[in-house]
Amino acid sequence: MSRYLRLLLVQLRASALLAVQYRSDFFIDGVISLFWTATAIVPLLVVFQDRALLQDWSMAEAMVVTGWFVFLNAILEGGINPGLQAVVEQIRKGTLDFVLLKPADSQFLVSTSRFQLWRVSNLLAAAAIFIFAFHRMGRLPSLGGILASALLLVAATAVLYSLWILTVSAAFFVVKVDNLTYLFGSIFDAARWPATVFRGVVRFVFTFVIPLALMTTYPAEALLGRLEASKLLFSLLGAAAFTALARWVWMRSIAHYTSASS
Amino acid sequence: MSLKGTVRAMPTLLRVGFSEAVAYRAEMLIWVLSTTMPFVMLALWSSVAHEQPVLAESGRRFGEAEFTAYFLTTFVVRQLASSWAAWEMNYEVRTGALSMRLLRPLHPLVAYGAENIAALPMRIAVCLPVVALSLWAVGTSAVPRGGLRWLAFLAALLGAWLITFLANVCIGCLSLFMQSSVKVMEVWLAAYFVFSGYLIPIELFPGWLRQAVDFLPWRYQIGLPVELLSSMQEPAGALPLLGVQWAYVLGLGLLAQLLWRKGLSRFAAYGG
Amino acid sequence: MISVRGLKKYYRVHQRPPGLKAALGALFHRPHVTVKAVDGISFDIRPGERVGFLGPNGAGKTTTLKVLSGLLHPSGGEVSVDGHLPRRREDAFLKKIMLVMGQKQQLLWDLPPAETFELNRAIYDVPREQYRRTLEELTSLLGLGELVQKPTRQLSLGERMRCELAAALIHKPKVLFLDEPTIGLDVSMQAAMRDFIKRYNEQHGATLILTSHYMDDVAALCPRVIVIDKGVLSYDGALDELVRHVRPEKRVVFRFAREVPQIALAELGKVVSVDSVSAVLQVRTEAVNSTVTRALSTLPVLDLTVENPPLEEVMSELFSRSRAAAEAAS
Repeated sequence: MSRYLRLLLVQLRASALLAVQYRSDFFIDGVISLFWTATAIVPLLVVFQDRALLQDWSMAEAMVVTGWFVFLNAILEGGINPGLQAVVEQIRKGTLDFVLLKPADSQFLVSTSRFQLWRVSNLLAAAAIFIFAFHRMGRLPSLGGILASALLLVAATAVLYSLWILTVSAAFFVVKVDNLTYLFGSIFDAARWPATVFRGVVRFVFTFVIPLALMTTYPAEALLGRLEASKLLFSLLGAAAFTALARWVWMRSIAHYTSASS
Repeated sequence: MSLKGTVRAMPTLLRVGFSEAVAYRAEMLIWVLSTTMPFVMLALWSSVAHEQPVLAESGRRFGEAEFTAYFLTTFVVRQLASSWAAWEMNYEVRTGALSMRLLRPLHPLVAYGAENIAALPMRIAVCLPVVALSLWAVGTSAVPRGGLRWLAFLAALLGAWLITFLANVCIGCLSLFMQSSVKVMEVWLAAYFVFSGYLIPIELFPGWLRQAVDFLPWRYQIGLPVELLSSMQEPAGALPLLGVQWAYVLGLGLLAQLLWRKGLSRFAAYGG
Repeated sequence: MISVRGLKKYYRVHQRPPGLKAALGALFHRPHVTVKAVDGISFDIRPGERVGFLGPNGAGKTTTLKVLSGLLHPSGGEVSVDGHLPRRREDAFLKKIMLVMGQKQQLLWDLPPAETFELNRAIYDVPREQYRRTLEELTSLLGLGELVQKPTRQLSLGERMRCELAAALIHKPKVLFLDEPTIGLDVSMQAAMRDFIKRYNEQHGATLILTSHYMDDVAALCPRVIVIDKGVLSYDGALDELVRHVRPEKRVVFRFAREVPQIALAELGKVVSVDSVSAVLQVRTEAVNSTVTRALSTLPVLDLTVENPPLEEVMSELFSRSRAAAEAAS
């Protein structure tokens, strides 16, 4: 265990070195995060121009969902995306073999191989949204709410990561699909609105198939102090199941890769 | 290459480019799937309009039908007015593959453009089901009539493609100056998503923002052609906007030329 | 055909010191140094000549080729190729030349090579009839056959390189620059490539400049060599002359009827290698005669041959000498 912790630290250090080299990224990432925050906020402004409530979400409450979206997006783009994007590249070039030769868990190695540390700026944007939203509501989240949403954040990260692993696993079977990453990003984009706003099939898909609800809506509800305990429990169980599934699929994909490549 | 030579070579360039697009059909399918944002937006906005139509400042009411027409058209326009030259150029500069292009007596920018255009038939094939779906969803009565409107739409679509392509080239050229211009492309894309009308019809923007957006290039990549085709914009009324669009085409064209020339002499100084 | 006068190519490169602390320092101040890739080279090449560029890694060979083909702008000096200034990259110039890089490819990766040929026909504006004849000739000379219909990614390295050469010759360039064209190929494939390149040069009178890590390539193809070391031209002339200059010794290879004591061998000359019944001696050229006579009279010689030292060894000695000289000077 401590060996993996040490490995993680080594990989983080390498990423820090890279981040320092590409210093202009700090500003560019800042600007991008500003724009993305705007893409998340502007639709809200438009919708709430002529109404106070949208499916019993007020504007400030919907903004809490947006806040979680920006937060998770930072985790996705800073911590999850870069490493796994590198895998897709490695599969294409055939250099993944070097990773598989190393005496450590392959999933761990590829997942931690690269981080985009400047994406931290997105976390600041998320914090600003939270502060603004709760200021508008004129209250503070309860301690229980914060705890529950922190738990859900862990669950959401696990689900996000697992979804990613599942997407990347596809790259083992259909080589030369480096834009898989964009596919995933565009689906995740739908998580910036409360899942309950969607109707019919779309809502079902976003709740159970691609559990976007779990990632942003539930944590927001928890922070607002209106998440039912059962939802919390199911979310945690669901996240655990998802992680296990992703792990299983990854192992299968690696097996497929090693047997198929020459 | 002389203009005549370029024109003579064009059919072959397009044909080979088309073969490449066919070879990359799996990739293209994934890419198309990743541009399904308009459908998500459609789901979202029609839910919103289902409760109560959204009222624009102009007084237009956006109901479910309006949103359906708008976002399905948006999807089609994005497919047609698309370019990926920036990524291509960035990749080729990084790997030195640009050298191989420079050895040929054909302007590399023409080659990039031909490759992008050659992929259009595949993209149109992808769009056909969506067009069929739109016709089924909103009825054939929504199809605009009148040659003038179609003419204006085609002019706007061509302008949209040119802006997209030239912006890609400009940003691609930047990779001749910096280690990677992919970041700059991300900034451009982020602004494009917000200000092009891709996520929300521009008419629904708050007033001050709407005016600002008219001066920015992005609304001419998506918004203008979509508005023309979905009858939110009258051809005559859209003339000033078309003027601004083509002014952007001209400006970006000149900028692309400049950046290419400067970038190339830098490339030749540092080597690839 | 080609004339180069005082060619210089300098680069300014940023230094990237290792370590997090140093990298943080580089945030504010980036030290850079000037690298003299090519520092004043002059030579002339006549039409139809085959010339080999020799030199250790980073000597400036590839840089020179890139300047000659117009990819790099020289920092100083004059370069002209068949009356053109390469840096202008005029269409007329580009249609006359081609640069083949063993490490880079122009073939479209996911399409059959035939598509790239067709594309090049259009780009170089080759008349149909001429294209058909050229392609026929290349197909038979390079043994392309069915290969051109398979997607490039499915070809082996050797097959791909053959197609790469064909794609480069569709427009019949008058000047052909070859940068490590046989890199990574197996020995028989290398030999086949050499044969083809030589035949192309002889049949079409094309001028040819070649860089290669494989001395055999240079020995087989290039009567004339130009040695570039640290950006400076250190030799320009016939290959044999260079060998004689660097290593004025010959090798005498003996086979004996029975084992011979080492001491007896050492008296004759420098022992390069020895085992039970054979030995290789190194002897000054003028002493070869006397050494052979002595050996025949004193040792149980079954047979013997006199050879030049292997080219690879000559080169490594040449380059290590120049390194030693540079170190002594600094």
